[in-house]
Amino acid sequence: MTKGAEKKQRKAKAVAEKKETTTTTTTMRETVKLISMEGFEFVIDREAAMVSHTIRSMLTSPGGFSESKDGVVTFPDISTPILEKICQYFYWSLQYSRGKETEFHIEPELTLELMMAANYLHT
Amino acid sequence: ILSLQRVMKSIEFEQGWSVMETGVAKLSRILEELPEPPFLPEEYMNQYTTIYNMCIQKPPLDYSQQLYDKYSEVIATYNKDTVLPSLRNKFDEYMLKELVKRWGNNKVLVRWLSRFFDYLDRYYIPRRALPSLNVAGMKSFCDMVYQEVQSKAKDAVLALIHKEREGQQIDRALLKNVIDVYVGNGMGQMEKYEEDFESFFLEDTASYYSCKASKWIQGDSCPDYMLKSEECLKKEKERVSHYLHVATEPKLIEKVQNELLVVVAKRLIENENSGCRALLRDDKMGDLSRMYRLYHPILLGLDPVADLFKQHVTAEGNALIKQAADAATNQAASSGGVQVQDQVLIRKLIELHDKYMVYVEECFQQHSLFHKALKEAFEVFCNKPVAGASSAEILATYCDNILKKGGGTEKLRDEALEETLEKVVKLLVYISDKDLFAEFYRKKQARRLLFDRSGSEDLEKSILLKFKELLGGQFTSKMEGMVTDITLAKDNQISFEEYLSTNTNTKLGIDLTVTVLTTGFWPSYKTSDLNLPSEMVNCIEAFKAFYATKTKHRRLSWIYSLGTCHISGKFDQKTIELIVSTYQAAVLLLFNNTERLTYTEILEQLNLSHEDLVRLLHSLSCLKYKILTKEPMSRSISKTDTFEFNAKFTDKMRRIKVPLPPMDERKKVIEDVDKDRRYAIDAALVRIMKSRKVLGHQQLVSECVEHLSKMFKPDIKLIKKRIEDLISREYLERDSENPNNFKYLA
Repeated sequence: MTKGAEKKQRKAKAVAEKKETTTTTTTMRETVKLISMEGFEFVIDREAAMVSHTIRSMLTSPGGFSESKDGVVTFPDISTPILEKICQYFYWSLQYSRGKETEFHIEPELTLELMMAANYLHT
Repeated sequence: ILSLQRVMKSIEFEQGWSVMETGVAKLSRILEELPEPPFLPEEYMNQYTTIYNMCIQKPPLDYSQQLYDKYSEVIATYNKDTVLPSLRNKFDEYMLKELVKRWGNNKVLVRWLSRFFDYLDRYYIPRRALPSLNVAGMKSFCDMVYQEVQSKAKDAVLALIHKEREGQQIDRALLKNVIDVYVGNGMGQMEKYEEDFESFFLEDTASYYSCKASKWIQGDSCPDYMLKSEECLKKEKERVSHYLHVATEPKLIEKVQNELLVVVAKRLIENENSGCRALLRDDKMGDLSRMYRLYHPILLGLDPVADLFKQHVTAEGNALIKQAADAATNQAASSGGVQVQDQVLIRKLIELHDKYMVYVEECFQQHSLFHKALKEAFEVFCNKPVAGASSAEILATYCDNILKKGGGTEKLRDEALEETLEKVVKLLVYISDKDLFAEFYRKKQARRLLFDRSGSEDLEKSILLKFKELLGGQFTSKMEGMVTDITLAKDNQISFEEYLSTNTNTKLGIDLTVTVLTTGFWPSYKTSDLNLPSEMVNCIEAFKAFYATKTKHRRLSWIYSLGTCHISGKFDQKTIELIVSTYQAAVLLLFNNTERLTYTEILEQLNLSHEDLVRLLHSLSCLKYKILTKEPMSRSISKTDTFEFNAKFTDKMRRIKVPLPPMDERKKVIEDVDKDRRYAIDAALVRIMKSRKVLGHQQLVSECVEHLSKMFKPDIKLIKKRIEDLISREYLERDSENPNNFKYLA
């Protein structure tokens, strides 16, 4: 792995772990795992993931998922930096809806891909 | 960079569709309850992503339309190949169960497929204004499956309902689910439910109950029939809550009510043996309450019941009146007997009113129709005369009996008295000639007050308050004035006595008590030119002088006919104090100067009318206490009789009251009231015309009647006469263009 990629990986994990508000004692169903095309795993709150309509539809389909399998979704079409940004967006969206009005900064080079991913995820 | 990647990864339709087919097949297996693991997230996302990718591709690779068509096709195929066959081979209850299952399945199918094909819903569908995935999916089921089976299903449901009505247990949950199918296929509207199910259900219900009604009405008594009806209505309401749609309830109840109650209403209510009449006769309050409950929600349903109630009460009242009239004619000889009958009648009328008021309050829930019926019934017989006396007079006498000494005040306790007075006033409401009652009451009240015969001052005031509350201050103003006069007179008397003691030159030799009355309040009494004995003349002069010191601008008219005298009669055996009227005293004192007097002599000396003198002499010589002896000793007075002081008279008492039977005031009261009525009609007519300026004949008459209705029911002919009179007195004129109209002349 290149130095840049390593750095990114560590950063991604830090972000995910920082945002992880669940403790180890909660059940698996409180979180979902989103996997990028490179295989990076982002474990985020279920509530955050549900900001995406697509993910929400999947998680609430009847008769779909058993208790033991919490949502693990692979996105072979979404790169890691995009997926990372999207997870950040989920949390920012929750905060905004609770009244904390801050800006969400998007690096310009990510814009196109981010928009397409957002369309796909219906976010 | 990604777009390049995307182009590289473009999907062919067949390729993409085969992925979807896998998903659909899996879904089918799950629905058919075949052993199949549930969808994994990857599988789900794969389905979704496939559709997504196929839709975002640039044309001609944008497969949105084909995918939309395929979606509908998939569902239609599933319905045709799987769902319909499974329903066609089942019947009755089994078919219903299968339908419910298939309906549930369809919802699941549509939901899953919609989620896979979700992307279409976001852009393609709204842009083309096509039915959403959900709508398209549900419609497919509706058009293909529902349409085919709904009629059979409806028949099956009705069969089950019939079973339940006949007392058997059925699967209510199943029916509820089936009803949901009908409702659900309406896609938000109730049309399917109403047309395909409800209308048939209602018709079926109507014929079911029509049948039952005809059967039951033949054999059942009214109470039994009502019980059954009540039970049926209850069960049908339960039916709705268990499995029908709530909107059906009012329609259902109406149908059932119509068959069980409306169609047979006449037969049921008017049933000779056990219908309304019989129930009233036998005091069956429970059954009557039920009848009320059953017919209350039906438009005009209570009218016949109220009518029969009114007829019944009227008949009961009339019977009481007849009873009193018959008893009166049987006891025509003794006037006291007639009196008692009157009083008994009033008491019975009060009891009747109390009894049926309870019916109105409890059986008929205070419904206005029944209040009205009771009122109208009482108005019929409360205005019938008994033995020549109007109801107004009878009621006034009843009041008099309660309020005078020796009447109610000694026999009953305060609360009981108050209650009785309340009830008396209630009866007064029904009497149309209230002014006549007022006049009789006033006359009797005057006698009570003037001759100190009132039992309780508080009660006198209390009853006036009740009259006032009911009929207004105008009704009671004169009566209240009378009571006040008596109180003032007592104070006045004290001043008079002080005056006498301070003015030592006025020696009366007689104890004099004077009561000054305000003319307007009291009934009219005729003054007479009686020649007073000299002893009394002094007294009159003394009082006149006293009164002049109090006020200069009033004129006193002396009503000797209302006075009372206490005379010491020095008879041979012993002295007896006689309590007589002033007139009687005047006659007796003549015999202080002469032993014998002829009728004519007495007449001349006293300056009385024949009518009065005959009465006086009769009371002194022909009744129980013969203070004077008469020659000849006949029972009636003739103008040729001679009278002598009866020195031999005695009695075991030391003081006796020699009554002077009062003149029959009935005629006079009626005359006075008639006169007042003429004035009242005139005043009302003028008042109406003044405010309306122009009015038609009919309207004027009817408004006049309404104005006066509080006090009496005016005779239409009399009103017409008064109108003519007012025209001649130039208060009104006939309209020249329209002779049927009148104009007010200022």
